[in-house]
Amino acid sequence: MSYYDIDSILTDAEKIPCTFQLDIPDLGYLDNSPGQPLKAGTTVNLPLWLAEMLVIANTGSVDNNTFVTFDLPPALGNDVVSALKADPRAVPLRDRSAHFYGLATHMMDLSEEQELGQVLRKTFVSRATEIALHARKVGGTGHGHKGKGKDESSNLGLGNAGEEFLRGLDDWERKLFRKAHEGAKAGKEWMESIKKY
Amino acid sequence: MPMYGDLGNKLVSHAKRTQNLANLPPYQTELVRDVTREVRDLDKDVASLLEPFQGSFDPAADQATACTLLVNHLSMRRNKRCLLAYHRTRTDKLEELVWNGADILDLAGQQVGNANGATAGADGGANSLSPQEEDYVRQYGDLLAAYKGQWTDIDLTGSLEPPRDLFIDVRVLKDAGEIQTEYGAINLTKNSQFYVRQGDVERLIAQGYLQKLG
Repeated sequence: MSYYDIDSILTDAEKIPCTFQLDIPDLGYLDNSPGQPLKAGTTVNLPLWLAEMLVIANTGSVDNNTFVTFDLPPALGNDVVSALKADPRAVPLRDRSAHFYGLATHMMDLSEEQELGQVLRKTFVSRATEIALHARKVGGTGHGHKGKGKDESSNLGLGNAGEEFLRGLDDWERKLFRKAHEGAKAGKEWMESIKKY
Repeated sequence: MPMYGDLGNKLVSHAKRTQNLANLPPYQTELVRDVTREVRDLDKDVASLLEPFQGSFDPAADQATACTLLVNHLSMRRNKRCLLAYHRTRTDKLEELVWNGADILDLAGQQVGNANGATAGADGGANSLSPQEEDYVRQYGDLLAAYKGQWTDIDLTGSLEPPRDLFIDVRVLKDAGEIQTEYGAINLTKNSQFYVRQGDVERLIAQGYLQKLG
């Protein structure tokens, strides 16, 4: 995650709900009402790049308050976590957030959700297995697989369920899928080319 | 609701798309200008917020102002990161193109193609590089040439594939003029075919003047 990393920058644009702890006259525009003061207790969705620092920053007062408090975004809500616990492969993470894992990692830096980390690790491991499986099948690299798709990158060889699963991958998982697929393909190409000599 | 940083986001989305393209899409002059303008506006806001304090601002005494200042500062920092990342993505791409043997004329040729295409409208069909980027390509090309010049018997930008045959058949796609080889001069006129040493014409193939046959 370098400073120039495009994906990391896009992840930082993901929004989380924040509640302001004090009245701020000049920030009404954050709550869609420029010119009006932002009242204490107002909850607005702020991008991570803003929320993260506001949550950490100290107001400088004696009681060590922060400017805002935050909640977990809906993408990491209880319903999602329970669904992930039940069957990680059945949840289309992409519908929750295109940068699901990135968002979750940020949230774990900010909060002390012990359980979330466990759930996410299990989610990733079981989904990664599934991804690797699909990556080998696509484009007829699998042995004895119905060679419906002549096009190398075609998804035609997959069943409906597989397509549904792949559509639900978040950006990180998509990258993993692409890498796995390219790896399998390159391996096959190498095996074929070596026979010629 | 438009918010500070939204424009920067748009710029980074452009960069994201650029990563997956073979060619470089047109430089987002307008968007870059808008983001820098946003930074200037934020800076002015900060200056006017701080003005009444005459340099002795105490964050603990005026928390609301402190928070506004922090938000402004973070927005500027965000925009800076977006701007830098956008330009870095493009220069990375440009460097790659230079290593692959594209020269400034090729990139300009790409621009003509764009101007005739259907997508040219929005950006006026102008050059896909900004003047600064053109300069960058030229100077990076010079640097690379100087670096390569240290080894006369190794072509650093040559193909990494070991050749199967020393000699190959090529067809000329575009007039490339006369070239000198060990076996004398060859005049490369369009549509003619030659049996030449691969090492002599590798660059011309990469640049699209010649097509390898067989």
